[in-house]
Amino acid sequence: MAARVKYNEEEIIEQLHKQDTCREAFGRVIEHYSEQLYWHIRRMVIDHDDANDVLQNTFIKAWTNIDNFRGDAKLSTWLYKIAINESITFINKKKVQNNISLDDDDSFLVNNLEADKYFDGDEAQLKLQRAIATLPDKQRLVFNMRYYDEMKYEDMSEILGTSVGALKASYHHAIKKVESFFENND
Amino acid sequence: MKKEESKILDKIGKESGFTVPENFFASFNAKLSSSLPDVKITEEEKPTLWVRIRPFVYMAAMFAGIWVMMNIFTLGKKSSASIEQKEAQIPNGLLVPQNTEDFMDYEGYSEYDLLYEDSIYMETEGVNDD
Repeated sequence: MAARVKYNEEEIIEQLHKQDTCREAFGRVIEHYSEQLYWHIRRMVIDHDDANDVLQNTFIKAWTNIDNFRGDAKLSTWLYKIAINESITFINKKKVQNNISLDDDDSFLVNNLEADKYFDGDEAQLKLQRAIATLPDKQRLVFNMRYYDEMKYEDMSEILGTSVGALKASYHHAIKKVESFFENND
Repeated sequence: MKKEESKILDKIGKESGFTVPENFFASFNAKLSSSLPDVKITEEEKPTLWVRIRPFVYMAAMFAGIWVMMNIFTLGKKSSASIEQKEAQIPNGLLVPQNTEDFMDYEGYSEYDLLYEDSIYMETEGVNDD
């Protein structure tokens, strides 16, 4: 069995900017980030197949724009930004396809969640997904990144371009809305 | 972070209930890595010797310019100082009129020249004509 090479971001970024090493280096980037980005996307788009498509688009977009990535920001920040943009674009496209106003919440995404073969959550988990889907996109992102990914507010601030204070307020509001959803849907 | 969360969320926990097919990530990584399109990377060119030393050359040229300018000003000052020294060596009598009459005479002569030169000339001309 081949020994797994330790992931060193500085080294990877250097290799990404060389024609002869960039492909292999990007392969390691995919290997390193695919799982965490998948879960982030999955919590946004809900469906596994959709998450798979959005994840592929995210990496393809990153790969085709790799020349523009100069290493000023962290690679993870850059990838998360692309993933978020791709997820929101995907959700908006899906809204248009389903004749849903872009201003409406994303509840339609969880309509068939209990029938999804890649969801084995209990009643409470399903209800939580329904509650999260009622949040505005930005609050949903903040909630998912903080609650599930346990991401630091500082890192979230870099990715979302919002102040730490605003993110804390957003998370607080999201929790209140989730609680009230549970109270109103007992 | 704990105090931010609610009893409801504590009860549900962090499990979302989402699952993926078996070996999904391994096959995803392999499939995507092998199907990446070709991209052209613009490699950063190593700076030439001239590019690397250029700022220092410019700075040296600037200092040299300042030095030359300072020298020009200092030489100017030196030469004007030496004129003053030379003037000081000239006897006072040669530079300043000794008595007022000399000056007055000189001035008078100029005035006379200017005022009466033409008439003298005309008179002279008139004499010759006769």
